[in-house]
Amino acid sequence: MRLFAGQSAWLVQRLSALVVLFVLLLGVGHLLLGRGGYDAWHALATSAHGAVLIVVGFAALAVHAFIGARDVVLDYVHAPGLRIALLALLGTLLLGVLTRVVLTLAAAGTASPLGGA
Amino acid sequence: MKFRIYRYDPDADARPRMQDYEMEPGHHDRMLLDALQRLKRIDPGLSFRRSCREGVCGSDAMNINGRNGLACIQPLKSLHEPVVLRPLPGFPVIRDLIVDMSQFFAHYHAIRPYLVNDEVPPQRERLQSPEQRERLNGLYECILCACCSGFCPSYWWNPEKFIGPAGLLQAYRFITDSRDKATSERLAFLDDVYRLYRCRSIMNCTEVCPKKLSPSHAIERIRLAMVRDSA
Repeated sequence: MRLFAGQSAWLVQRLSALVVLFVLLLGVGHLLLGRGGYDAWHALATSAHGAVLIVVGFAALAVHAFIGARDVVLDYVHAPGLRIALLALLGTLLLGVLTRVVLTLAAAGTASPLGGA
Repeated sequence: MKFRIYRYDPDADARPRMQDYEMEPGHHDRMLLDALQRLKRIDPGLSFRRSCREGVCGSDAMNINGRNGLACIQPLKSLHEPVVLRPLPGFPVIRDLIVDMSQFFAHYHAIRPYLVNDEVPPQRERLQSPEQRERLNGLYECILCACCSGFCPSYWWNPEKFIGPAGLLQAYRFITDSRDKATSERLAFLDDVYRLYRCRSIMNCTEVCPKKLSPSHAIERIRLAMVRDSA
């Protein structure tokens, strides 16, 4: 399977959607169980399993968004140069968001009075 | 009855125009094609394809009041006036309602629309069980009128590379045929970001098919067959 071509992209997009859904449902469950409040969310985000879950969720979201936006670009943008530029910009943006999430979680974990990852 | 019909003669017109017509349908005029033939007697220059006049040949596919359909099976009574007729969207126009279907048929030929089986043929015929034959229902009935491909936004954007709903429905007709032995090759050919995966499941194809077939369902089955084949 070629990466992000044909069937592989189609499969990865659906699997990443399931991962995002799973992480979202956990978050909603966390809210519904009444574990809201800053301290509870901070503890969750800075715990090892919480941080991993958030990073995995954002990574799946980034992959999902990249494939979806790539499909839009393939549909509507036919000039090769512009197409490559848009995809590079998109990839950089998504990678930037993911990096920011990881750095924020790492900083929160090391600074946390509750312990952390 | 009032009609607004797309007119374009590349030899004479700088650009297309819409022409208004008004005429009374004859006593036996039931379908849109009957009215078009009556209009052609008034204006012999009006051009459109037609052949079987009973929804079998697929020649008279056109855009009728914003939806693709076959003029020969479109009852006049079902149409709002003025009846706006345009050529199939996304297809190059040759003249008036006649479109160039070369690309469409090139995609059809690319999917190899015939059985591939190099095994020694039996003395009489390759038999199928009733269940195997049942799988071809809803697929073999396609008349290649192009109503589906001409109503598919993905086909409008990438007509050179995307096989389109008609070609993909025909592809699945052979993928699922128990007598065909080239399933893996067929799936490998379709495993491409353009040929199959430009389909965004918009389902316009299923919505407008005059034979009530479902190309979008066939496309989904191809994707699942591909997953099974690569597992």
